[in-house]
Amino acid sequence: MRRRGRGIACMWYPIGFTVSANPSAATVKVNEDGTATLLTGTVETGQGSLTVLGQIAAEALGIATEDVHVVSADTDATPMDTGAIASRTTYVTGNAVKLAGERARAILFEAAAPMLGVKPEQLEARDRKIQVRGFPQRSVPIGEAARHALVGKGEPPIGTASFNPPTVAMDPETGQGKPFATYVYATQIAEVEVDDETGEVEVLRIVAAHDCGTPINPMLVEGQVEGGIAMGLGFALQEEILFDAAGRQINPNLTNYIMPTSLDMPEIEVDIVPSYDPTGPFGAKGVGEPTSVPTAAAIANAIYDAVGVRMTALPMTAERVLAAIKAKRAADAPRLAAD
Amino acid sequence: MTPLRITVNGREHVLPAPPETTLLALLREHLGLTGAKLGCDVGDCGACTVLVDGLAVNACLMLAAQADGRSVLTIEGLATPDALHPIQQAFERHAALQCGFCGPGVILSAKALLDANPAPTAAEIREALAGNLCRCTGYAKMITAVHAAAQALHGATDERSPRATPVPRLPLPGGGTGGPR
Repeated sequence: MRRRGRGIACMWYPIGFTVSANPSAATVKVNEDGTATLLTGTVETGQGSLTVLGQIAAEALGIATEDVHVVSADTDATPMDTGAIASRTTYVTGNAVKLAGERARAILFEAAAPMLGVKPEQLEARDRKIQVRGFPQRSVPIGEAARHALVGKGEPPIGTASFNPPTVAMDPETGQGKPFATYVYATQIAEVEVDDETGEVEVLRIVAAHDCGTPINPMLVEGQVEGGIAMGLGFALQEEILFDAAGRQINPNLTNYIMPTSLDMPEIEVDIVPSYDPTGPFGAKGVGEPTSVPTAAAIANAIYDAVGVRMTALPMTAERVLAAIKAKRAADAPRLAAD
Repeated sequence: MTPLRITVNGREHVLPAPPETTLLALLREHLGLTGAKLGCDVGDCGACTVLVDGLAVNACLMLAAQADGRSVLTIEGLATPDALHPIQQAFERHAALQCGFCGPGVILSAKALLDANPAPTAAEIREALAGNLCRCTGYAKMITAVHAAAQALHGATDERSPRATPVPRLPLPGGGTGGPR
């Protein structure tokens, strides 16, 4: 009989390295045609980090994302970045990009202030213009401000900055410290059906609520969460590297190392929790690795809810679940009197 | 070695190829069409999926000689110089791919499905993509994108299709850069 159950799991996850330095640097150049060039050492692997970094640079300069040309991951030419690891790119590299954009913007403000007859601190960058705060009709196009900075003031609008998450080393005696600059939080709920005759588990639905700070690009956040859940589901139910006695892997290909296909994936609902981290770029934190952290635990709790067995080893294959169900039945069966 | 006569992306090629040459090797090494990917090379991952006479096949498992006289479509033949194919447009709009390695195969599996079934259900889309492994996306946005492509191509969609995913703006005071302006 197929029995249905629901399980819930929560997690927190840190952004960046544990105490150790993990800096990112970035350079933002504003061009005379009003576009900008962002130089970053980080690498795009499909998660969309260059889009997010372009959005951050655009937001700092008051221009559109498509106005930003991102040059990345050329160790000969781009500024140092610790890497697309530790769920750190949006937070750490994003902070460097924001600071670099703000430095370039400060040069534009210095150049535009005499053009508009105001002080630099009265200016803001919006809608591809440098404009007087509260008087948006008094403005110069950002490209013109860039040209004036270059040929009028002799100071090209280029900003370079770096960011290293502030941490406090942990005291070896008390365990106290601040090993990370920020943390993200998530809750996932799994709904499963367990066949109590075969042990087979089908995940029907996963609802995932994630606090990633400001979601700079909500569609990409959803993509990260959905992908993380697929990895978490494989971790929970299917994926296991098996070795023989000599230590050789006996399932070295995708025929017998089983990962989720489109048929294994449940309906996924992603809930991006409204949140703002004042230490992040425009309030953002991160979303990468944490997405797969609570999935297996939520599924394990749902299995317990469905058939009353606590699984303590992954993956929770049909064989293992069935063995647990049988063990529970044996333990629950009324014992005959020993005498 | 008898030369093979194969139409690839609408262009006929007459090629000598050793008999052990797979269709994938012919495409990638002889014709320089590297869109179909060499993933597992044993038919597990689907990254090499191409269409042969309209049907999705693992090009790593098919000998080039078996494609003699047939018509092959690879990802390179899908877009026109002016525009991406509607399936590619839908995949782009819905951010259905991440690293993209599985993408050519997934998109061609989707094309084979939509050519045969203009208004597939979510279950039919999942079935059609089941031979294409993806490590990044969880398939969710791919399924949404295939629905959207079905609608764009045929104006048809299953009533149970998932709601379209809007691209919200960056939720910042004063308007943001979450989408193109």
